[in-house]
Amino acid sequence: MALNGIQIFKLTPKKNCKECGCPTCMAFSMKVAQGAMDISACPHMSEEALASLSEATAPPMKTIKIGTGDAEYSLGGETVLFRHEKTFVSKTRYAVALCTDMDDAAVEAKLAEIPKVDYERIGERMYTELVYVNCGEGADAAKYTDLVKKAAGLGRTLILGCKDPEIAKAALEICKDSKPVLNGADASNYEAMNTVATEAGVVLGVSGKDLNELYDTVAALEKLGNKNLILDVTGADIKETFGNAVQVRRAAIKDQDRTFGYPSIVNTVALAKGDVHMQAALASLFTMKYGSIVVMEQMTYAEALSLFGLRQNLFTDPQKPMKVEPGIYPLNGAGADAPVMITVDFALTYFVVSGEMERSGVPVNLTICDAGGLSVLTSWAAGKFSGSIIAKFIQEQVEPKVTSRKLVIPGKVAVLKGDIEAKLPGWEVIVGPREAVQLVKFLKDMQA
Amino acid sequence: MCAMLINRIFSGNDAVYGLTVQAVDQAIQQHGADKAVGFPHTAYCLPCYYAVTGVKVKTLGDLKEALGVVKTLMTREEQLEDALMSGVATALCAEFIEALKYIDGAEPYSEPCTGHLPDQIIRELGVPLVTGDIPGVAVILGSAPTAKEGVDLIKSYQAQGILVTLVGGIIDQAQELGLNMGYNVRIVPLGKDVTSVIHVVSVAVRAGLIFGNLTPGDAAGLIQYTTERVPAFVNAFKPVDDVILAAGAGAIKLGFPVISNETENIQEVPGALIACPDVADFNKVSLEARNIKIKITKVDIPVAFASAFEGEIIRRKDMQVEFDGSRVDCAELVQTKSLDEVEDHKIELIGPEIDTFEEGSKHSLAYVVEVAGKKMQPDFEPVIERKFHNYINCIEGVYHTGQRDMFRIRISKDAYNAGFRAKHIAEVLYTQVRNEFEAIVDKCQVKIYTDPAECTKVRQELAIPTFDKRDARLETLTDESVDVYYSCILCQAFSPSHVCVVTPERLGLCGAVSWLDAKATNELDPNGPCQVITKERLIDDRIGEYEDVNEAVKKFSQGALEEVSLYSIMEKPMTSCGCFECICGIEPFSNGVVIANREYAGMTPLGMTFPEMASMTGGGVQTPGFMGHGKHFIASKKFMKAEGGIERIVWMPKELKETVAERLNQTAKELYGIDNFTDMIGDETIATDPETLVAFLTEHNHPALSMEPMM
Amino acid sequence: MPFNQKPQKFNAKINSVTIGSGDKTVSIGGNSTFPFYTFDAPEENTPKVGVEISDMGLEGAPDGIKAYYEGAETMADIAKKAAAMEGADFVTLILEGGDPNGANKSIEELIAVVKEVAEAIDCPLVVEGCKNVEKDAELLPKVAEALQGRNVLLLSEKEENYKAIGAAAGLAYDQIVGAESAVDINLAKQLNVVTTQLGVDAKKIVMNVGSAAVGYGYEYVVSTMDRIKGAALSQNDNMLQMPIITPVSSEVWGVKEAMASEADMPEWGSRDERGIDMEIMTAAADLASGSDAVILRHPQAVKTISEMIKALV
Repeated sequence: MALNGIQIFKLTPKKNCKECGCPTCMAFSMKVAQGAMDISACPHMSEEALASLSEATAPPMKTIKIGTGDAEYSLGGETVLFRHEKTFVSKTRYAVALCTDMDDAAVEAKLAEIPKVDYERIGERMYTELVYVNCGEGADAAKYTDLVKKAAGLGRTLILGCKDPEIAKAALEICKDSKPVLNGADASNYEAMNTVATEAGVVLGVSGKDLNELYDTVAALEKLGNKNLILDVTGADIKETFGNAVQVRRAAIKDQDRTFGYPSIVNTVALAKGDVHMQAALASLFTMKYGSIVVMEQMTYAEALSLFGLRQNLFTDPQKPMKVEPGIYPLNGAGADAPVMITVDFALTYFVVSGEMERSGVPVNLTICDAGGLSVLTSWAAGKFSGSIIAKFIQEQVEPKVTSRKLVIPGKVAVLKGDIEAKLPGWEVIVGPREAVQLVKFLKDMQA
Repeated sequence: MCAMLINRIFSGNDAVYGLTVQAVDQAIQQHGADKAVGFPHTAYCLPCYYAVTGVKVKTLGDLKEALGVVKTLMTREEQLEDALMSGVATALCAEFIEALKYIDGAEPYSEPCTGHLPDQIIRELGVPLVTGDIPGVAVILGSAPTAKEGVDLIKSYQAQGILVTLVGGIIDQAQELGLNMGYNVRIVPLGKDVTSVIHVVSVAVRAGLIFGNLTPGDAAGLIQYTTERVPAFVNAFKPVDDVILAAGAGAIKLGFPVISNETENIQEVPGALIACPDVADFNKVSLEARNIKIKITKVDIPVAFASAFEGEIIRRKDMQVEFDGSRVDCAELVQTKSLDEVEDHKIELIGPEIDTFEEGSKHSLAYVVEVAGKKMQPDFEPVIERKFHNYINCIEGVYHTGQRDMFRIRISKDAYNAGFRAKHIAEVLYTQVRNEFEAIVDKCQVKIYTDPAECTKVRQELAIPTFDKRDARLETLTDESVDVYYSCILCQAFSPSHVCVVTPERLGLCGAVSWLDAKATNELDPNGPCQVITKERLIDDRIGEYEDVNEAVKKFSQGALEEVSLYSIMEKPMTSCGCFECICGIEPFSNGVVIANREYAGMTPLGMTFPEMASMTGGGVQTPGFMGHGKHFIASKKFMKAEGGIERIVWMPKELKETVAERLNQTAKELYGIDNFTDMIGDETIATDPETLVAFLTEHNHPALSMEPMM
Repeated sequence: MPFNQKPQKFNAKINSVTIGSGDKTVSIGGNSTFPFYTFDAPEENTPKVGVEISDMGLEGAPDGIKAYYEGAETMADIAKKAAAMEGADFVTLILEGGDPNGANKSIEELIAVVKEVAEAIDCPLVVEGCKNVEKDAELLPKVAEALQGRNVLLLSEKEENYKAIGAAAGLAYDQIVGAESAVDINLAKQLNVVTTQLGVDAKKIVMNVGSAAVGYGYEYVVSTMDRIKGAALSQNDNMLQMPIITPVSSEVWGVKEAMASEADMPEWGSRDERGIDMEIMTAAADLASGSDAVILRHPQAVKTISEMIKALV
């Protein structure tokens, strides 16, 4: 049972020493209760308190880190099954697969293709973070290490798909410093693989022929002292894999079964080899349902534009709306003389409004005001989208860059018109429509 | 119902029954018992008989049998129910007689009369009836005193969108004056025999079968359906003979009131049989009797009315005239009246129109909106009143600020030149109140005063006492004095499991929804975000926990939350969404609580800022020791009552402290006899860490320090 | 010690609603688990895939879609090809030409299209209005009338016009009412409540709880569906037990990722592929969070999604 802040506070030294980095013990306790800090950050906790707390406050699912530096990623650490309950904390990461079965040309093509997808969307860099290097049947150490070397050249964090401890060891010699994942332990080889992974200091991926075998293997590895694991839940077919992914996560979070409290890997290549569309469907499915790492054959713009958009939406704080950067966004080839339309920085508003404006084909300077990421009416009610804020924004940011003196405000804040007019001499303030769907007609009429 | 009336109905029924038996026998003689009988284009055989009994009549033989069943309805005790059932029997006989007319595919009706209406018409009619586009169905029967009076009545209904059906002499009268009739103009002449009235009854009955999913034979369900869902009524012109009276009894049984100008040998039955000597009043009386509300679609003023004008400011140089409550006597007010005191859409201007006012001058203005309605309550007056600001501002060229007796209105020269006058303000108020408060306001009239002496009188003698009374009511409105609380789930969109329990002494944590607001919201939108929560099964008085409140919270949070207390911050505290005005959090070192408001950006002695506290408290999760609330709640006697109440408050941002000081000090004085309590409360100029705060509290002997430990 | 499997059993289920008449019908809903949780309990009906065609024909359609319909000259031809698409369970006709801010076709014109399509195919049919609430309030009752006996699903009645559409579709002409609300569980529930209060049978309502393309505020769609399924199953809330249909294509084919031409965005590659993946990924996510039926346009997307559904159940 999770403890609340007050219960934790009672066990703290109540000294407000600030050594944990929080100004008060109360603030620290609340953060621990939230899962934002670890109880061990307090240097003054008594042994008994620590013992009683660490079990109770330990998260149901471990946070596993892979990669290093800029390419370090956290996986797992989730506390809920549905995003409306609390934010999903660790994004699904995507890997493009290479295999020793591929010929050199195919490998080269893949390696050239991966870096091409690299762009920004609402403040987030979108690119393929991981490369899955598979050791196909019959491949020897030389062939595999050769491929690993090539893959490592991309600078992306690697997942080594290799079940042979010797080959794995050889491959890790090349890349262990960049903290790849070694995905290859199963019931038959876990002891040897465990030695290889722990010696190299990397995360070990575990699989099983069914959930029971997986469970037992994880338990055995934990017994050997390894809790730095990832569970490869890929099963014989799509149905089984989905069942595995869901049940592993549900057992960890709902039933507090810590043995399954690890992040997961889903390999769509194994499930739908050669069918990139099916892999796209599965990538979406397993982003929704509990894949920490999803492996695909390719990540071109066709996959990326949709998949990264989905992920960006899904891994957001349900209470904190996504924001776009305030500023001027010229649409439909708008020049400095195009009319100015203003709205808030709530990402959804921006997308809907800019989409309709683009559809109208009418050049406009869409300007986004810092309104705390709230919708038009909410930010207006909260005083974050007021006449003075808009006027100040227009004077400071827009007037130097735009020559037009027509300002269209959202219909929902028609009430601001007079106030803005008073504060923005020389501007003609026009009340726009209340709903975005009316924008096309409004803009066409305005242009006419 | 008096014996005379009952006996007249019996005799009318007997007469019709006799005629029907005769007609059926004659038909059987002529065609044989196996002859098919029925109406064209209906799947419901003889619809009325089928709906009442569940039996399909297909042949003359069936009809003969049906007559036997009808006879069983014709009991003769001198009681209301017997009379009404005889009315139903009369209607069924009428259906039989009409059905006989259609034997052998005959077409007994000719232009303009329609006779039987096919199923298709009912399917088409049903939709506008359900949407209210056809607000009612009038059945006009007999001949009006003059053709003109009859046609005027028809036209008055037509203008309201009501479907008008005509039976008997009125059809000739309408033709005489050349009235354009037909289904497309919503005037349907049925037939000239009184029995043809059954064709409109058949429409109502089939509507029940098609739209009400009624089972044929479920007579009780049918009557409930027509009573509740078919807004029909009958206008019967004199002379009303026994047969018409008997048919009228059938209408009454279906829930359709009968309005008549007959005065001989008749007696009123309240709500059912209504005497109305003047035909000119039929429309008003009928609509009121059937509780039909006519939708107003357009605001009838010479300038535009739209929310786009809400933010318009009228500057001094552009203004034609100004009314300023801070200089002269002004008042705006809603008053609840009884239904007979209000004449709908009456607009009265008391004093001169603004034509006589000099350009740019200042004047007094008062307007009193008098409303009546079966569900109207004086508690809703301020809720309606608060919308005036918005309504008046939506008028192009008119600007409104303030409220009660401290408002200011400016009318621009442009609006004035377009013909806008004071009476148009009344028109806007009338239309908007009727439209937006349809659920509670049945009738509305507006008095608008421009005469300065009258304005003074309204302000001093009516408005101020009303405002005082309302304020006093708010003061005495306590959690104990009411029977129910309300839920509010307006913000579940972003805080899925949060439910506010709104009580008189604890408004919604956003600060925007008071108990009265929630109550009005519930009346206006019974399926909306505010639902009634009973408070009958107390669990714990100290923390304010009720079984019924818990059940409601569980239901509205979709099971996410099972128990909630109204008055405790430590035990099962109410959850928060994210839109709270303030957050209150326990400060263990001073044994009290710290409150931070949304506007406050700095640090609190808890070591957390408002956003940090907010991130821990929001999302509909119970966080003991922390809760979100409205500013107004701070001075409430119920503020964390379980932990000792407002005495626990040890720190607030200075600005917030000043805002709530007056009321908070008053409560502290009342509850604990402490003077100037806010002087003992810290703020950011005094301390932003617990140590300094405790020192300050010790120095000022803050009561929280010596209270029982909070945890 | 083996894994202790704990199936999540609910004593409630989503209503099963059958669309269409005669031999060719589809049933959606009917399940008592979260989507595809076959390890908890078997599914009664599998989710269904609809193919969307427009009264505007193939105007503005991307190449891949045009290629599929090549040779189709009339709406009847288009409808037949749509019905024959691999993986298609039903056909959806969207009457977008009715939009007063667009082509503003008359109701008579649109009803003629509706009849032409309905006569051309015998598979279950869903008809979507033009999305303008006033126009739909007039148009959809006429559609309901024109298709009596076909047991079609009409999308959508909304809060603003539920009376006209609910009464016509659900009562007068005995069709299935599609209740559309804007990504909010309470709005969805409220619309179901008022619709049933009109007299419409709760078992003849299908919900469209709002949709978006992935990347476009899609988190609200996920959470709304997650919460609705949760309340329907764990709370046995019968005002939320209507199956959910999600029109994917009308959202997807309006966003930049699927619309931008290859000339404008050369690095993005094939427009067709972008649109296909947008449709596939949005549909897969919709199905994962609770849609009992999705509406798509591209033949490749229809094929892949229907294969995915078959692989999962």
